Amino acid sequence: MSTTEAAAPAAERPTGDVVAARDLTKVYGEGESEVRALDGVTISFPHGQLAAVMGPSGSGKSTLMHILAGLDQPTSGSVVVDGTELAGLNDQKLTLLRREKIGFVFQFFNLLPMLTAQENIQLPLRIAGATPDPEWERTLIEAIGLGDRLTHRPSELSGGQQQRVAVARALLSRPAVVFGDEPTGNLDSKTGAEVLELLRRAVDEFGQTVIMVTHDASAASIADRVVFLRDGRVVRDSGRMSASEILDTIKTLE
Amino acid sequence: MLRLVLRGLATRKLRSALTAIAILLGVTMISGTFVLTDQIDRAFVQIFEQGNAQIDVVVKDKPPFEDQQTEVYLDADVVDRVREVDGVALAEPFLQVQGYLVANGEQLVSQGGAPNFVFSSLPQAMNPYTPIAGRLPEASGEVAVAKEIAEQGKLEVGQAAQLATQAGAKDVTVVGILQFGDGTTSLGGSTSVIAPFADVQSWWSLDGKASFIYAKSADGVSEDELADRVRSALDDPGLIVQTAAEDSAEQASELNALIGRLIRFALLGFAGVAVLVGAFIIFNTFSITVAQRTREFAMLRTIGASRRQILGTVVGEAFVIALAATLVGLVLGLGFAWGLNRVFELVGFGLPATGLRMPWQTVVVCLVVGIGVTGLAAIGPALRATRIAPVSALREGAAPPRGRLARLTPLVGVLIGVLGGAGLVAGLTQDIGTTQRLAILAAGAIAVFIGVAVLSRYLVRPVVHAAAPPITAVAGGVGRIAAENAGRNPARTAVTAAALMIGIGLVVFVTIFVGGLKESFTGAIDDSLESELIVTAQGFGSPLPLEVLPAVRAVEGVQVASPVGGTPVQIGPGTFALIGVDPTDIDQVYSFDWDEGDDALVGGLGTDGALVEANVASDLGVGVGDAVDVTSINGESASFEVRGLYTDEQFLNGVTVTQEALKPLLQSNATGINTLFVKEAEGADSAQVQAAVEAALAPFPTAQVQSNAEIKEQIESGVNQLLVIFYALLALSVIISLFGIVNTLVLSIFERTREIGMLRAVGTTRRQLRRMIRWESVITSIIGGVLGVLIGILFGWVTARGLEAEGIAFILPIGTLLIFLGLSIVAGVVAAILPARRAAKLDVLEALQYE
Repeated sequence: MSTTEAAAPAAERPTGDVVAARDLTKVYGEGESEVRALDGVTISFPHGQLAAVMGPSGSGKSTLMHILAGLDQPTSGSVVVDGTELAGLNDQKLTLLRREKIGFVFQFFNLLPMLTAQENIQLPLRIAGATPDPEWERTLIEAIGLGDRLTHRPSELSGGQQQRVAVARALLSRPAVVFGDEPTGNLDSKTGAEVLELLRRAVDEFGQTVIMVTHDASAASIADRVVFLRDGRVVRDSGRMSASEILDTIKTLE
Repeated sequence: MLRLVLRGLATRKLRSALTAIAILLGVTMISGTFVLTDQIDRAFVQIFEQGNAQIDVVVKDKPPFEDQQTEVYLDADVVDRVREVDGVALAEPFLQVQGYLVANGEQLVSQGGAPNFVFSSLPQAMNPYTPIAGRLPEASGEVAVAKEIAEQGKLEVGQAAQLATQAGAKDVTVVGILQFGDGTTSLGGSTSVIAPFADVQSWWSLDGKASFIYAKSADGVSEDELADRVRSALDDPGLIVQTAAEDSAEQASELNALIGRLIRFALLGFAGVAVLVGAFIIFNTFSITVAQRTREFAMLRTIGASRRQILGTVVGEAFVIALAATLVGLVLGLGFAWGLNRVFELVGFGLPATGLRMPWQTVVVCLVVGIGVTGLAAIGPALRATRIAPVSALREGAAPPRGRLARLTPLVGVLIGVLGGAGLVAGLTQDIGTTQRLAILAAGAIAVFIGVAVLSRYLVRPVVHAAAPPITAVAGGVGRIAAENAGRNPARTAVTAAALMIGIGLVVFVTIFVGGLKESFTGAIDDSLESELIVTAQGFGSPLPLEVLPAVRAVEGVQVASPVGGTPVQIGPGTFALIGVDPTDIDQVYSFDWDEGDDALVGGLGTDGALVEANVASDLGVGVGDAVDVTSINGESASFEVRGLYTDEQFLNGVTVTQEALKPLLQSNATGINTLFVKEAEGADSAQVQAAVEAALAPFPTAQVQSNAEIKEQIESGVNQLLVIFYALLALSVIISLFGIVNTLVLSIFERTREIGMLRAVGTTRRQLRRMIRWESVITSIIGGVLGVLIGILFGWVTARGLEAEGIAFILPIGTLLIFLGLSIVAGVVAAILPARRAAKLDVLEALQYE
């Protein structure tokens, strides 16, 4: 088991692209039932950016995120994460790459029910056999505002609290990039806003790179950049947009 | 609803298969046991029917009481009166004794304890044996042998050999090689030699005696008719007259009562254990799946399914699984019986063979047990499923409600356990019949197992908390998760572990019990014997020739050779051993463990004094000064005055009198010497003395000389053989419990699919995941192993205390117990292989999106 120390703070990393994809295609099925989930996507994400990927269902946004995060293989094209080309990596190497360079925030939180909040936060590092940097951990715990509930188990926390724990879990190892898969999809608007606020702070204060897939216009409106997909292609790639601009764009896409 | 059941089973193939295996193996064992014992039963019937095929009426002695171990004889001249009966075409006296041939320096004896017979020759018209080479023996010194022995000893017609008889080795010539009946019937490993009637009489000290008188009827007179005529002609209450059919049926049923029933009883006991373990697994599997299918059942309820229908789905599933498993188990039972036959053959105890057959009763018993036990085990979870509220369909992570009586669980567990313990104690200490005793003990043991299984759920969390730090230290972060997973659903882990506990518990128990048994034998040798060598006769309690005594006493280096012999006698309603010792020197080879009296009593016993073993005395209700009235098997009576009491369950377990007093009560050909205790002279070389005694006994091949150490070794190897058989039979239960662990793990992994996806996504490698599951499995198996060892020790201790009077010691074989604990860890690792592989193979993306 590799015993990497917690990675260096993202802010100290050289600027440049953390995630870069070229000519990504993903084809499911063959012949008549062929579905092109991604059809030639080239996109890159620089350091310290909070990016939102949007699009109607079936647009390929989830597939794109899965491939960028090394959870799925593209049919063709290349993905480079923090300098590492993913193509040709076996499961073991991909696992280690995820462990060291990627954090995840899931729609359904996915905390382990038998571990306390704090243990859940530390989980990826424990699995890697590494020790969390105590100062950084304290900072994060302060940021998620759950200092008094650290010994609680997920079943004793609200949905928003659970997702904040999940965000802290993703940030603790200071990954090169954090992927969010509909991070507010299972939350009401108020608690969802708290989680988004947290992601925003991760980027602004800690220099973290975050890429989230969402269909929630208000979530996308806090992003530095909004990427729209349709039928497996990038149809619009813009800077910060307001919620109403986003909604308008979505309407034109549908 | 039936379609729903079948569809459900089909979509959960692995689980259905694993559940089926849990019940299948137990049914296999039951079915195999019946097939095997049916085969043995029929084989014995066939042997005796073929043996009596040529005769019509049998006359035998009627002893005053029954004793299976002792042959009885009648006067041979009864044959003259039988010959005079109208309708008797032929009548012959017949003798059967124990002895064997020695040829080319090899003793042609059976392997594995089957008897070695010598039969007197009958005219061919009455003889079940027919020559396939040579002829039947006629003149003195001629013998014929069964073809099996001829093959074993590579004997040919005309070959010289020696016959080991009670009067020593006699030179004989093989004049014929014979087949029994039609030549296809196996005699189950026993050997048979045929010798002329007069030779058998004289060489086995049976002058004027016969075992039976056989008669053959003249044409037109039926068996029954002839038996009636012989009976009224003889008119002797001391004789039994039977038709050949009655005699063969009686002999077959006597042997079956001894052997077939013993095997059936033992095997069914182990099969019962396997079924019990299976029941635990079925209960657990159904509990887990009902919990996992909460939303499914709730959904069914929302769309209008009644509680009865929900119950029907779960019970129906259990029924289909049980039916399939039972049918397969029945068929596999044939294979099990076949395999056991091969095993018995390998250890040299060839069972009498006939074809394997599946008696219809077996099918009924297996169906009742297989479906009944599965149904009983599944009914609890099924009832739980009916209590699921329809609204659960809308909630995530809904679980079936706790039972109304859940609060009472610990109380119930304690109650069952305590009742079971009380049953065990009662079963061991109460004065009841063997069958009731075993039934109470079995029920007690089952109750203790269930009680502990119920209570052990409260142990799981503490164990997990204790185990977590060391496991985390060894296995890293995933070790912690493994421990937490094992502790997540304590009832589930507890029942899974309990299945293993039963197997391990019984393994530990038999180890301790058999060890104590061994100690009671070997300890008695150390405690009671002052002698160094023991001379005994081969064969079931056969006597040594009288000439052996002077021969051994004459050996240089032998200080004392003291004879001990015995015969069964009736005292009151019971049968006890009457033992004869030589009062002049018994005290030099044997030390009495006196309860009342001292060594001075022995010399003055005379012909009317007796020393009584303490337990026998308490059975008889006699004490010092009381009279003991005995009746021997040949009808003689005597009365002895009790002079002293001693304790000895091994050597002198009965009423001890002098050799002189014993003599008049002995059976016709008994010598009163079954054993010689031989004490060497001071300073003599043991090996030399043993060799010299062996040389002096060369003319008496049935006499075998063993040192105390050799006897202990013999006991030890016998005990170890017994243990191996027990282990092999219990291994099946342990294997079933492994399937239980596999099943629980597979179901738990299935239920945690999304967690596993998350763990993989955040950087858990496949190896770490496999390790995590392995540890979860090992924690479960360690809980089962530790509980099993503790219960086994408890059972062993209770049994040893209950049988203390029998001399059973309680010894803890710490090393062996540690090995069993180690094995239970191995079991956990093995059980985790398949589930771990399945978990590691899960696709991360699919797992994450799994609901």
